[in-house]
Amino acid sequence: MMLKRRGWIKENSCGCSGKGREWRYTDLRSLCVQLLADSVLAHPIDNFGRFNRESRLIVLSSALALYDAGIVYGRDRKQDIGIVGTSTDGSLSSNLDYFRDYASCGRTLGRGNLFIYTLASSPLAESSIHFGLQGPLVFLRYADDPEERMLAEAEFMIRNGDASALLAIVFDSQKADCHYLSGGMP
Amino acid sequence: MREETAVITDCDIRTAYGRGLACCWEGLWEGRTAIRPCTRFDTGHFPSRMAAVVDGIGYGGRSSLAARMLIPLLESSKPLVPCDAVPVLASTTGEIDLLEKNVLEGTGDAAESRLDVFLEKVKAAAGIKGGGFVVSGACASSSAALGFAAGLIQNGKHDCVLVAAVDAVTEFVFSGFSSLMALDPEPAKPFDRQRAGLSLGDGAGFILLMSCSRAQREGRAILGEISGWAMTADANHMTGPSRDGDGLKRAIQKALDRACVSDGDIGVISSHGTGTVYNDSMEMKAYTAVFGRPVPLYSIKGAVGHTMGAAGLIETAIALRVLRERVIPATIGLRDADPEAKNWVSSEKRKLEKSVVLLNNSGFGGVNAALVLRQPYAERQ
Repeated sequence: MMLKRRGWIKENSCGCSGKGREWRYTDLRSLCVQLLADSVLAHPIDNFGRFNRESRLIVLSSALALYDAGIVYGRDRKQDIGIVGTSTDGSLSSNLDYFRDYASCGRTLGRGNLFIYTLASSPLAESSIHFGLQGPLVFLRYADDPEERMLAEAEFMIRNGDASALLAIVFDSQKADCHYLSGGMP
Repeated sequence: MREETAVITDCDIRTAYGRGLACCWEGLWEGRTAIRPCTRFDTGHFPSRMAAVVDGIGYGGRSSLAARMLIPLLESSKPLVPCDAVPVLASTTGEIDLLEKNVLEGTGDAAESRLDVFLEKVKAAAGIKGGGFVVSGACASSSAALGFAAGLIQNGKHDCVLVAAVDAVTEFVFSGFSSLMALDPEPAKPFDRQRAGLSLGDGAGFILLMSCSRAQREGRAILGEISGWAMTADANHMTGPSRDGDGLKRAIQKALDRACVSDGDIGVISSHGTGTVYNDSMEMKAYTAVFGRPVPLYSIKGAVGHTMGAAGLIETAIALRVLRERVIPATIGLRDADPEAKNWVSSEKRKLEKSVVLLNNSGFGGVNAALVLRQPYAERQ
């Protein structure tokens, strides 16, 4: 039986489904403080200030999903949990941010802190790093029924032995919906 | 559920050596690098000018750089590709020059550069009607895609998958890697004591996988098997691999376990071998942890450059040739092996003693992917 828990974040509110908790927020930084105080986050998110928007939404929804599932994590503790994600635009907004900045600087110097987000998998990687997730890490985009197919693929990966558990995340620049999937009870 | 063997029945690639596996193999055989000063765009402001670009493909064409490299390969493959094949596209930046054009000239739509949009072009070129998906896992994209494809076949979900991969040397990526100080001012020197970074390269290709039973039913030649695969993450740093190689070590061990082979069965390692100080060192730590004693390894990135999302697919195609010819290519660019890699890597060609290849790639964000490739079953008897 597949264990499923869920954390979500959208404009002004976030929550987790299994525990039935919700938070309202005005900005993501103050939300981080609140989630740290409520033990949803085990420790502050390093470099949160330089994350792009998708990375911030993904790491916070991941925190909520892990909290919903009762998964404990820590700075020195790495776990065999993977992370897969899907979105319509991939890294399009980050690609534009990077290249517009590069062009505006005279096409002589790019900014590395913007370039690293021009991979569709990078926002997922930020979560992998913060939570110590060492399973598969990949962005998938299906042509048909993309969200349902990605979630189905995540379940298949667990059944197929590719990971013992996965965070499967549907995201865009405004919201993120993170499903924690596991082949057994935590 | 009955397990099927995932076999490779067809493949083709395009690198800076030219179109086709034969000319790439010839370049490797002759010890000739395809990395040279890049004239596709102005590199004068960057620390390196070196890249391996496909001749005759430059800015200003009617379609994107990536499309001009990949689509002709797929159109030629149409007679061989069943229309019910599942199409999988692996890439990091795809048609990013469409976005460049939108930003610089104000023409076109930047959204046309999205990978799902390119997937539809891939399907049309290959004559495939529906479905499919994009895999993007940084520079491990295409080895991850091949692993996904093999998993779909082994578990009976599909019996035919077409994996296509491409990435082009664009001003976008060249400037980006330059900003990270990742490029060697000279052609890349994988595993060399004096290595100083990577060289980017154009790369495109496809691999057609089938279940063994379908391939036999249709009378297709079997070029090799993908018998093991795995993906892991370092969970360490966005641009720096883990210093101890633990993430890659775990990916390799999982792939070997899935293939039901031991480390002693591996005849050669097709490494990621980018030529950066940290990547190559990380790989050697992982290999040492898994194997404990030297196993022949090589990298082709001093020859064709780092083809980013296409690297795993191109390296798989070359690995199939290694299995067939029973020759391990020289690591082009290598002059003086780093002490960590001594007795593993060579600047000379070597004979392949055992017919199982381990292939691995890693990427930004700490992604690792490993594949185990074998000769066709009939040739092992």
